[in-house]
Amino acid sequence: MITIENLHKTYPTRFGEKEVLSDVNFELRKGEKLGILGRNGAGKSTLIRLISGAEFPTKGRVRADMSVSWPLAFGGAFQENLTGVDNVRFISRIYAQDFESNLAFVEEFSELGAYLREEVRTYSSGMRARLAFAISMITEFDCFLIDEISAVGDARFHDRCNYELFEKRNDRAMVIVSHDPSYISDHCDRFAILNDGRMTFYSDFDEAYGLFRNTMGLAQANAPEKREIPKSRKQLIEYTHTAAMRDELFQATVFEADIKGKAKEWERAEALYREALERQPYQRSYWVQVAHMAKEAGYIVRAESAYRTACALGEPLAEVEMFVEDLMQRQNLDPTDFPIQAYIAAAAFKQPPANPDIELLCDLCWGNARFSDDETCDAMRHVVCLDELLSKIIADPRFEAAHKDWLGHYVKGEAPTAPLPEPIDPQGAQASVSSRNLVSVLALSDRAGVQAAMATELDASDDRWALVQSWGGFGDWPQTVQALKQFKNEPAAVG
Amino acid sequence: MASNAAPDTHAKPPLRESFAVQGRVVGALLIREVITRYGRHNIGFLWLFVEPMLFTLGVTALWTATKNLHGSDLPIAAFALTGYSTVLLWRNMPGRTIGAIKANSALLYHRNIKPLDIYLARVLLEAGGATISFIVLGVVFIAIEWIEPPEDILVVTAGWLMLAWFGAALAIALGTLSYLSELVDKFWHPFSYLMFPLSGAAFLVSALPVSFQEIVLLFPMVHGVEFIREGFFGSKIIAIYDLSYLLVFNLVLSVFALLFTRYVSRRVVPG
Repeated sequence: MITIENLHKTYPTRFGEKEVLSDVNFELRKGEKLGILGRNGAGKSTLIRLISGAEFPTKGRVRADMSVSWPLAFGGAFQENLTGVDNVRFISRIYAQDFESNLAFVEEFSELGAYLREEVRTYSSGMRARLAFAISMITEFDCFLIDEISAVGDARFHDRCNYELFEKRNDRAMVIVSHDPSYISDHCDRFAILNDGRMTFYSDFDEAYGLFRNTMGLAQANAPEKREIPKSRKQLIEYTHTAAMRDELFQATVFEADIKGKAKEWERAEALYREALERQPYQRSYWVQVAHMAKEAGYIVRAESAYRTACALGEPLAEVEMFVEDLMQRQNLDPTDFPIQAYIAAAAFKQPPANPDIELLCDLCWGNARFSDDETCDAMRHVVCLDELLSKIIADPRFEAAHKDWLGHYVKGEAPTAPLPEPIDPQGAQASVSSRNLVSVLALSDRAGVQAAMATELDASDDRWALVQSWGGFGDWPQTVQALKQFKNEPAAVG
Repeated sequence: MASNAAPDTHAKPPLRESFAVQGRVVGALLIREVITRYGRHNIGFLWLFVEPMLFTLGVTALWTATKNLHGSDLPIAAFALTGYSTVLLWRNMPGRTIGAIKANSALLYHRNIKPLDIYLARVLLEAGGATISFIVLGVVFIAIEWIEPPEDILVVTAGWLMLAWFGAALAIALGTLSYLSELVDKFWHPFSYLMFPLSGAAFLVSALPVSFQEIVLLFPMVHGVEFIREGFFGSKIIAIYDLSYLLVFNLVLSVFALLFTRYVSRRVVPG
């Protein structure tokens, strides 16, 4: 058993002391497998190091009557100019073990062949991972500490690691930290959330993960996105993958969606992917996931428009073509009548629209009204570019209904104009996802400070359409300008 | 919990076992260090003592060429051998321990490896290199009759060991301090160069004016060098030293070195 009593860990920082762990208590019995969830920097790795005995707590203690491994598959201790064999020899010496039999095991398990006699500096990261894992397995422990192991090597090697660890050593205790929650849910029987230095324990993974996402959502709500706003919709689409990778809440939501998808809970999975996409609406790969889930759940129209969205955002057509064709045939439509529109790297108004644009522009033009699923899908089939989309939204009675006052002024040629706002510090600005994305789509300024000010003003405004128009927004979108002029030609229609 | 308190593997094992583990770990680190530093190319680990030998030979040549005045009629080769070798002995050890923990912090993930082990391995390696270089050069110089064999080899050995102890304690103290402050690394280099002329390597204390002797004898390594020269040339020179001064200095320095090591060990973050 491992007993953690009243464990505290404080690190000195330039801004004073930071308490990473505060009063952590738990017991780990033989054979128990504990999975720890926590945000980046929550102290998961610190806890692992404290349990391993490699680091000392500031207060409290770790008692163990079983042998505890070093953090597994950890390759950092490899010396670059030692060979694989040297590293095996070193570990064998440190743990007083028979070098020859260890070497035989590592040779067999790592499948590195002659490379084992080469310097580690020549290894690829996959080869390092294999050597690290094989070396981790040469010493037997009662308790294994596993810190981020799931990203290791190819699928076949991953399976062999899992067999070695979770089948052959199933009787051992384990503490697992991973960014991949499915790894934790697959292998653990107890779960803990580490947040603000405190640990809370759960026996049910779904409960633990739901709460974990909540704590993360709360934390991110308090500290929203502060990076610079992309200059254009093109840049937005190019950056969004990286932004999504860095967005912990996005990743966590997507992971949960993946788990639901594997469990064939299609509707829940679709809803979770959509929830994630609300944070990063232009992330095309997850629109494919939304589409897959909707298709499985039987929502054919929604699936089709999600697939088309992915392509409009740059997903290669070949990846989704067969799915769209199948869906259209199910609706008794000829796929060749409505070819999928591919992404073009051009000014926003020339780009083919995607679901998030429909959402964004309806929100701007109609207030609370929205396209139905059928309308959305229809637009995805017919509308060629964002300019056309916006002109249709404007021509729709729902626009007139939402902007009577502004249209009144506009028809008289008295719509207010205003210069773009003064720049503010882009790092200090906080704005909603939709305002940020709208600023990118408008592409009215190249200056990060001005863009940040625009997004902040949009958030504060109660008539965003009027504000955008006062800046001269959409002035270079020909069809949109034309659609607005229609109101001047038919003044009777207004009021 | 309290009723069936189990043996605690995080607690200290018996002393003899601890020594066995420490010996094993230091040995493994030593071999690892040799391979990482000298590799398997050209003459490999022979560099361990060839490098200090080249230093000493270079200095011998330089002093011979400039007819270095050292205040006695001893041959310059003898003077360089006994002088410069000792500088290498106490100066190279701190050079290798400063920054050693930061460079090797990943090793600390293995619970048996402690900062002290990393220091010991490096200190042993450096001391070994300087010692082998000293012996090899001494034997060669004697064989080609540049110098006479030492008059009392035990005194030479004792002086050498005392200086090695001084270097090791200094190295561990500076190594730990360098973990706490980067300034140590910045200051050590100029400091060690300035210490060279004051360390007794280039002069005999008896050749200095008395007022200057008092200052020079404050530096502990001077006593060690003088003692070694006493062993080498006892009847031909007047060596001035106080071995107990060096002994006390070594003891105090060692206590501080170990205290610092303990302080750092409890705070070091592996990785």
